[in-house]
Amino acid sequence: MSGESGPELRIIGFLCNWCSYGGADTAGVGRMAQPTDLRIIRIPCTGRMDPLFVLRALFDGADGVLVSGCHPRDCHYTEGNFYARRRLEMLKRFLPLLGLDDKRFEYTWVSASEGQRWQTVVTRFTEQVHQLGPSPGIAKECAA
Amino acid sequence: MTTLDELKRTMKEKLPELDVIIAWGQGFDPLHATPLFIRDADQVEQAVWNPLCVHNLATYLPWLKDKRVGVLVKGCDSRSVVQLLQEGLIDRDRLTVFGLPCSGVLDLSKVAERMPDDLGLVREVDLQQDQVEITTAKRAHTLEKRDLLPTKCLVCQYPNPVIADHVFGEERHPADPEQGRYFDLEEMEERSLQERMEYWKQELDRCIRCYACRNACPLCVCQDHCIAETRDPNWLRQEDTVREKLMFQMIHAMHLAGRCTECGECERACPMGIPVFTFKRQLNRDLQELFGYQAGTDPTAVPPLMTFRVDEENIKDRGW
Amino acid sequence: MGEMKFLSADKLTQWLEELSRTSTVLAPTQEDDAVVFRPYDPDRELRLERQPTMPPKEALFPGSETLLQYQYRKDPENPGKQTVEVRESQPAVNQVVFGARPCGARGFTIFDPVFEEGGYQDPYYQARRQSTLFVTLACSMPENTCFCHWVGSSPSDPRGSDVLLTPVESGYALEAITQGGERLLASELLTDGESVREEMEEVKQAARKELGQAPDLSDVPQKLFDLFEDLDFWDRMSAKCISCGACTYLCPTCYCFTITDEPKGASGERIRSWDNCMSYLFTLEGSGHNPRPTKAHRLRNRVGHKFSYYPRLHDQAFACCGCGRCIKSCPVCVDIREIILSAKEHPHE
Repeated sequence: MSGESGPELRIIGFLCNWCSYGGADTAGVGRMAQPTDLRIIRIPCTGRMDPLFVLRALFDGADGVLVSGCHPRDCHYTEGNFYARRRLEMLKRFLPLLGLDDKRFEYTWVSASEGQRWQTVVTRFTEQVHQLGPSPGIAKECAA
Repeated sequence: MTTLDELKRTMKEKLPELDVIIAWGQGFDPLHATPLFIRDADQVEQAVWNPLCVHNLATYLPWLKDKRVGVLVKGCDSRSVVQLLQEGLIDRDRLTVFGLPCSGVLDLSKVAERMPDDLGLVREVDLQQDQVEITTAKRAHTLEKRDLLPTKCLVCQYPNPVIADHVFGEERHPADPEQGRYFDLEEMEERSLQERMEYWKQELDRCIRCYACRNACPLCVCQDHCIAETRDPNWLRQEDTVREKLMFQMIHAMHLAGRCTECGECERACPMGIPVFTFKRQLNRDLQELFGYQAGTDPTAVPPLMTFRVDEENIKDRGW
Repeated sequence: MGEMKFLSADKLTQWLEELSRTSTVLAPTQEDDAVVFRPYDPDRELRLERQPTMPPKEALFPGSETLLQYQYRKDPENPGKQTVEVRESQPAVNQVVFGARPCGARGFTIFDPVFEEGGYQDPYYQARRQSTLFVTLACSMPENTCFCHWVGSSPSDPRGSDVLLTPVESGYALEAITQGGERLLASELLTDGESVREEMEEVKQAARKELGQAPDLSDVPQKLFDLFEDLDFWDRMSAKCISCGACTYLCPTCYCFTITDEPKGASGERIRSWDNCMSYLFTLEGSGHNPRPTKAHRLRNRVGHKFSYYPRLHDQAFACCGCGRCIKSCPVCVDIREIILSAKEHPHE
């Protein structure tokens, strides 16, 4: 697969049902090749995103987390992604305090027709996570 | 008449109209104050007001929502009162606020650093303007008050209550820390990412999941139904590992984003001395930078995470 | 027993290293603001002068422990059929707890009737109990929050310990309390201690004297029982409590636990972990009903258990060792001594 190095890492994707999940479908139907590290979880809207989902995923062993939704102004539920944008920006700025590289988390806006763009986003993000390597290790921590 | 005398006089005056006044009284030794619930006039004499009055008494307000309550607040505590009003968790009509401009409290962990062997042997404490004299069974210590101030006091922007029905004592000036208002976060930023992760792993290792941090927080009103402890949904495992304990701190910090008024009680309450306040400070700095917002200053304000702008001034497109 | 040894202060770390060769030695270690029991490490700061923040509770009763692991499997020939494989875990430890105070070691004498004697034997607790020795440090100076003398103990109480160390000039006097303790005293680093016996007794007596006189608590169990219906009293006592678990988890005698299954896909673990009666959730029932819905109810239970119900069941022993951690570490300085005295002095109809 393009640009990938080393064994497959675990990247979790939270995709909104209407735009990004549709966009991923479009990419699939168009047989656009992407790295296979990404595992997708479908949510109704990025407004459903709780920053804690991202943190729990990172703590439990995810090497990267991607959240993708409709473009601002195009949210299927009108406002969901406006709230998400604020929450996820706050989260992104918070991660470095813990010692987690904020490049392990991205939030993007991909619409249902943007199959090509979806391919680019996934490839680019997977490459970005591979450059950082496997996640340092809250997941591997054992009992005191 | 001293500030304390004036305060006591007013409390006695207002007590007949109230079910209880929450003040501070003398604790188990000269170095500790404790919350005092005044129901009868003869209890008023027990009230104290000094830099040992560290507790944020606003914590008790949501639980006494249906009562007519008087509460004593420092500047930081008054912000918690405003935040509780903002969220509709307390009733302004049943609340009487006794405001006390504050020049800083003592961080007992800093006292402990300077007298590690005899902290439990205190016999006498003399609180002066700039110094604190502590006499223990072993020796006398003279400490500089400015060395004993907690982070929140060193960066305090609200020494005077932002809400009060009665005010006692002279107005104070906000702190002007030479290291900057976020020096604690900047110190963390001098460490590498790996060092930060190791730091938190080491700190959270001794956490005993007592939830004192959560219960001491005035804004944590769902503590009896906290998702940290529910089994459905099951957010946290019961296993005693750093992963679960740090995840709890994430839950706590995220649920306080936009609400935390930086009273610092979470860190003060921790029996194991874990610096949990840092997480909330980070979120508050981001709130300030992104939205120019501080919690607990305006009862009519809408918290930024409860609203949005179609075009965000400070959130730039990431070019993906 | 009766034989005394002396350990010179400059040989302390050597003795700990010697003990570490055959056992895990848990010693009070400075970690930021707290002093906690950690496996002895010569590079880390040992702190013996103050009562440790945490008692050595986790040596026998860890914050969480795996009771068993389970694995569900499906039969490929018969997908409707599922089997489960269960593996019990058995703690395998060999520990010496060094530097606890008598109150910390004594805490386990409150656990023993519950976990070992009378009916049910807890195999996890027993396995640890039988392979852990306590080398306890007697107190030379009680703290403001110490009240071991109220509950029938003292700064040099040997109960629950295998060896008792008393600090003397230039070192420690050592006494074996049990046979296990005698074996520990066989080290060549220890010399005959007869010459410091008198000094040791003086230190013990001075510490006890510093505590002063204890109130008579023999009527407290009945008094607390009589106050059961008086929720007004308990409302006042519990007004400042914030219902956290600091007092419970730091207490050397608190032993309540919960058992939960933590699944991960088709496998998982059954874990026992500490539980806390000051929490609303402690008695919340599946129906939604809660017999202890308020702080008043819960504080009544905590104090009642320690000073009334447990003594009635176990030979008048208070389920409290008087260490004072619940007072010191309580975020709002709830003082159980005040509550006991208020109950004692409460006028009786």
